[in-house]
Amino acid sequence: MWDGPLEKITEYKFRIPKSYKPGMRVDGIIYADEKLLQDIKKDKAPEQVVNVAFLPGIVKYSLAMPDIHWGYGAPIGGVSAFDLDDGIIAPGMIGYDINCGVRLLKTNLTLEDAKGKISKIVNTLYDDVPSGLGSKGEIKMSLQEEKKLLLQGAKWAVSRGLGVKEDLECCEEFGAIEGADIDSVSSRAYERGKPQAGTLGSGNHFIEAQVIDDIFDMEIAEKLGLFIGQITVMIHSGSRGFGYQVCDDHVRVMVKCLSKYGINVPDRQLACAPINSPEAKNYIGAMRAAANYAWCNRQVLMHLVRESFGKVFSKSWQSLGMDLIYDVAHNIAKFEKHIVDGREKTLCVHRKGATRAFGPGNPELPARYKEIGQPVIIPGDMGTASYLLVGTKKAEEESFASACHGAGRVKSRHEAIRTVNLETLLKELKSKGIEVRATGKKTIVEEAPSAYKNIDDVVGVVIGAGLSKKVCRMRPLCVVKG
Amino acid sequence: MENFEFIEHTADIGVRVYGKSLEDLFQNCAQTLFSLLIDHKPAEKIEERIILEAETLEELLVTWLNELISLFYTYKFLPAEYDIAIEKDDKKKILRSVIKGEEFSPYENKMNREIKAATYHNLKIEKDSFGYKAEIIFDV
Repeated sequence: MWDGPLEKITEYKFRIPKSYKPGMRVDGIIYADEKLLQDIKKDKAPEQVVNVAFLPGIVKYSLAMPDIHWGYGAPIGGVSAFDLDDGIIAPGMIGYDINCGVRLLKTNLTLEDAKGKISKIVNTLYDDVPSGLGSKGEIKMSLQEEKKLLLQGAKWAVSRGLGVKEDLECCEEFGAIEGADIDSVSSRAYERGKPQAGTLGSGNHFIEAQVIDDIFDMEIAEKLGLFIGQITVMIHSGSRGFGYQVCDDHVRVMVKCLSKYGINVPDRQLACAPINSPEAKNYIGAMRAAANYAWCNRQVLMHLVRESFGKVFSKSWQSLGMDLIYDVAHNIAKFEKHIVDGREKTLCVHRKGATRAFGPGNPELPARYKEIGQPVIIPGDMGTASYLLVGTKKAEEESFASACHGAGRVKSRHEAIRTVNLETLLKELKSKGIEVRATGKKTIVEEAPSAYKNIDDVVGVVIGAGLSKKVCRMRPLCVVKG
Repeated sequence: MENFEFIEHTADIGVRVYGKSLEDLFQNCAQTLFSLLIDHKPAEKIEERIILEAETLEELLVTWLNELISLFYTYKFLPAEYDIAIEKDDKKKILRSVIKGEEFSPYENKMNREIKAATYHNLKIEKDSFGYKAEIIFDV
């Protein structure tokens, strides 16, 4: 139980003052309400918010979203921004799964159309999309091809017919971040990444067919072509072994940077280097390559999902209206412009389990989303619901344009295994009309809805704090877990 | 007594591992790691040699485990037997190991789970009159 100070600023915002511990450079801010705060205080996540506040060059505050929970280094749900002159970049504050993220695609199918076909959908997805522990993809490629993939991200997949150019417009960074440096990638990472391109992975990664069961903003929903009873598909995956190896390679280097640059960190998993150092530049180049790997991966997965639906409904994906709504990264560092002390400044924003949430008019957004703001996709647990939100100006002003990334765990995997019975859980899901397929039975239990916070509460805080606007809610119909 | 026990961690997997000596601890940490990944008992068919250097024992332990994770997922090397020697002075710690194991694909065999990496978070190696103890959080 964390018993440090938490001062209530508003109904949805709590402060850990920098006076709490000598060495904190800024306050910690946790977005939560009284109810969520009880769970948040149960583990060491608030202390991790504090630890991030120690880092050199941190700007304004060390932030945490309401889905915050105990991670390693930074908390999951953590957001922090660093000055380019005296700030740092820390691989452990982005995570091993670089550019783990979510994409949401719509269909023109209704719940009525899918009636009686849910089993077929989940079985086809399970059979046709490589998923599960250490799964192997169908994409065979040479080293030269892998290098192209790392530079081109989702574009690489689209150029090979695994999607259309409109898909790219609906991805953060248009599916490929600039500045990937293939020379900063180790041969080990290339090798580890090769068999896994186009695979879902395991743990909390999933593909889910859903139905929209509530709409909160009719105008935006209409603009996005969304309606009650419509089938949507959500894909959650990341950069697989490639990203893990990139992170590992560079954490090893950055641990040595601590003494080299005289940086004190309260937790060595926050190992970092000054943004302008050669070590940081190498990491940034490799991290971007991993981010592109992940965008390519989700593009390939989406292609397989489209093909699976095509098979089930005997129609092309185009005639099923399977267009991408958006793709967001929730483990990444980005160089973004934000207002600090009334002046625009470029900052290095770390998001670990947090979603970028640009408001309407942001110049980074594609034309189609300029007016409404950036789609923010919040997956919930497999038994409850997920949300589609849009970013706001207030998020840009307050949270370095960030919102939450999911429900956030509340039970450890071990506790879930101890307390959840697989048969009972599957029965419960079935009674709600939800079908689940997974390679590992343990995964289903570890990912049980009771292991997560209530998504409605988490999203409620994000909305209450003004960091996003609710568009619609999607209820799961079937889930493929890794 | 088992060589390891679980410790609670919300998102990932935490273990507390014991060893009579430092070498024993490093071996038990490696065995714990693979027992989390897989139930298969590997044969001693091929040999790998690993030499690692670090400033602290904690850093050496994380580097050791991540090297094994990386070898497994990249080159499908599943260790069975370890011969480990650790040298340490004030400035550096060196691990030399000869590992026997077999080629075993994580992509074509049943796995219990995936582990991305061992992390430095809350990592500590402690010594008492019974031997050594380490607490490690694995990112899963």
